[in-house]
Amino acid sequence: MHRLEEIWLSVSAGVLVLFMVIVGYQAFALGMGPPSHQETIDPQKVDETEPFDEPGVYETGENEYEVVMTLQAFSFTPNEIEVPAGAEVTFTMTSKDVTHGFQVAGTNINAMVMPGHIQKITHTFKEPGNYLVLCNEYCGTGHQLMSTEIMVK
Amino acid sequence: MEDVKKNVPEQEHNEDEKSLKGTFASVMLLAGFLIASWAGVFLLFMDRV
Repeated sequence: MHRLEEIWLSVSAGVLVLFMVIVGYQAFALGMGPPSHQETIDPQKVDETEPFDEPGVYETGENEYEVVMTLQAFSFTPNEIEVPAGAEVTFTMTSKDVTHGFQVAGTNINAMVMPGHIQKITHTFKEPGNYLVLCNEYCGTGHQLMSTEIMVK
Repeated sequence: MEDVKKNVPEQEHNEDEKSLKGTFASVMLLAGFLIASWAGVFLLFMDRV
């Protein structure tokens, strides 16, 4: 093979391997991958099934919180979330009707919340402020109104 | 028929052999673009962690 061809083939392969190693290490060893929790739930019995029978913000440890949330057209329950700065928050979510999205602007929180599935994603809110939460998966005529705010004090 | 047999070993020393330098430069430019755009998105991701 031509010398230059050998060079560009090995550079390309090396770059690809490097990218995959970085992203792979982050996803598998550091748990920084996209949310893909595998627990399932009966979507028609969400209000009767733990923990979604009592949605809300719960403190689970030193500056650790769990937000148990149900999504429906066109709101998030609970729709008032307040945590202190530096809090590590785990969102445990499911949908009561159709597929919704859950994206917190300015963070890497971006989950698709589907009926029948429980989605979990964790984030540490280091900076105080108000974080806009949007549904980014079309869910019906009120989809554009489906939003809430996370207040980090 | 004899020409075919002679051409195969001589191909690599042929004066008319096409240069791959331009192709190499283009491929490296493309690699640079890909690495830069990958790094840009990666840094955005890390900013939001």
